[in-house]
Amino acid sequence: MEDYILQVENLRKWYPIRRGFLASLLSKEELYIKAVDGVSFKVRRKEIFGLIGESGCGKTTLGKTVIRLYEPTAGKILFNGVELTALNQKELKEMRKKMQIIYQDPYESLNPRMSIYDIVSEPLKVHKITDDPAEEEEIVRTTLERVELRPAEDFMYRYPHELSGGQRQRVAIARAIVLNPIFLVADEPVSMLDVSIRSGILRLMLDLREKYNITYLFITHDLAIARNIADRGMIMYLGKMAELGTMDQIVENPQHPYTKALIAAVPVPDPTAERTKVVIGGEVPSPVNPPPGCRFRKRCPHAMEICGKKDPEPVEVEKGHYVACFLYA
Amino acid sequence: MPLLSVENLKAYFFTMKGPVKAVDDVTFSLERGDVLGLAGESGCGKTTTALAILKLLPEPGRIVNGRIIFDGMDLVKLSEEEMRRKVRWKRISLIFQGAMNALNPVFKVGDQIAEAIMLHEDVTKEEALERAAELFEMIGIEKSMINRYPFELSGGMRQRAMIAMALACRPDLVISDEPTTALDVIVQAQVLKLMTKLKDELNLSFIVITHDLSVIAEVCNKVAIMYAGKLAEIGDVVTIFKKPMHPYTQGLIGAFPSVKEKKELISIPGYPPDLLNPPKGCRFHPRCKYAMDICKKEEPEMKIIEGHRVACHLY
Repeated sequence: MEDYILQVENLRKWYPIRRGFLASLLSKEELYIKAVDGVSFKVRRKEIFGLIGESGCGKTTLGKTVIRLYEPTAGKILFNGVELTALNQKELKEMRKKMQIIYQDPYESLNPRMSIYDIVSEPLKVHKITDDPAEEEEIVRTTLERVELRPAEDFMYRYPHELSGGQRQRVAIARAIVLNPIFLVADEPVSMLDVSIRSGILRLMLDLREKYNITYLFITHDLAIARNIADRGMIMYLGKMAELGTMDQIVENPQHPYTKALIAAVPVPDPTAERTKVVIGGEVPSPVNPPPGCRFRKRCPHAMEICGKKDPEPVEVEKGHYVACFLYA
Repeated sequence: MPLLSVENLKAYFFTMKGPVKAVDDVTFSLERGDVLGLAGESGCGKTTTALAILKLLPEPGRIVNGRIIFDGMDLVKLSEEEMRRKVRWKRISLIFQGAMNALNPVFKVGDQIAEAIMLHEDVTKEEALERAAELFEMIGIEKSMINRYPFELSGGMRQRAMIAMALACRPDLVISDEPTTALDVIVQAQVLKLMTKLKDELNLSFIVITHDLSVIAEVCNKVAIMYAGKLAEIGDVVTIFKKPMHPYTQGLIGAFPSVKEKKELISIPGYPPDLLNPPKGCRFHPRCKYAMDICKKEEPEMKIIEGHRVACHLY
């Protein structure tokens, strides 16, 4: 049997839209932003699973909901054998030692008034890991060394503004791994960094996975990065899964019309590469009360009558490769 | 004669701590119809170069040396008044970084474009608005949208509107600073396609400033790689991507992921230098794996090798 660390089933995150008093009297209909609308997937232990999509597709909401930073509207989240949606706050806090998050922007996610030592040791204090200051310092030191901020003494008592973007992101990673988690949500961890710095951070993440058996949920809009770091991934469109499979399956043998359009649109850093651009028109529509049926159909070159009537269910087109599209139903 | 030739340009910011040498002795030229990509990481001086060409450097920045010959005129010698009347927008226009948010939210987009036209040409408001509508049609947005406010347009449409505004006075050269950075992939592809189409139809030249090498591979025919205020390497796009000679260019291309292949991503060790106090000799030497003694002492000269120019002591 496969060893899954995370099994998400039919997960929903809807945000109600607040309206004025009069508007709410005049119409009974509740409006929702359906940021995540019925998504299911499984993540294997020690894999890097990419959540890929354009802005507004719900990838960040999904990433934060699976670790219950956002409360799900409906659905199940089985994490490491425990149903997360059933936990109370106290049990959830205990569980948080195992699952952590790295944010996109290391210029925003670190408190400028806290020293690197305070930032990295804060999770230890919150979870009351140790009473012994010497032990705490030792944990912070080894954690900073694990993220290659060496020698740790040079960094501990400095403040975020004294560090470069790449070093800050390493501090954010240190803070995330200081409790020895088994699962990390990485929300666009390199998109704010320069190209020459990016690969260093990605390599560090791969290295931490090997040494400490960490599983990553890697959220990105960049298919080229996903291709190069993730094992498997899911392409999302407007809160739904479009396609799921290994990165090779998705990139080399895309099936969903949206995935095809997305891959055709990715610029390739090779001026001699063949350019067969079938660029689709339009932009991602609003996720407020989307009409029934496939959400991509208004932009889809293959839209059929059925696409407007029902939601497409995921179909397995080859082993482990799922597509939610009526072309394959 | 090239359309634009930048010779030994130096643009410094005179801060309280001393001069920041943001652009230090940069030389390149551009023919009519060229699309030149100016690439490099944050802080390498690519935006400063663009602003210096238009003489729009913010305080305390100044051009301290060099010539910017555009169509026979030395822009460095022109007065502010002459720049505004003769050059900016009419001959050289600029698409700003974060163009999506560069529109004024309280004016209709058509009025904003018409304003740019009326400032530079002797036309009535009706004529200007009509031209704005034509521009919208050219960039693939419905004419009636000129009566909308920016918030009613999507991100991609706003970016197109900024392109329309840059083309309003029929310039010869358009400088675009990170034209697609904030856009989604599919919209980015639409905008890049539009830029290429406009270039062919209107015989425009472009300078595209970006950190994204894949954007350069898509639209440019020439590339200049900048590092810490200096040009590292310049040449035609195929040569630079296929046979990069400068170790920095090699590192940058090696670090750039492609959706087409899975490769080991190589990072460049260290961090870009502080331009208040750049390293002696070659500015890249502390991060360069081929660094020799001479690199620490002498600045490398630009040399012409196999059709492109490179500043490195290896050659």
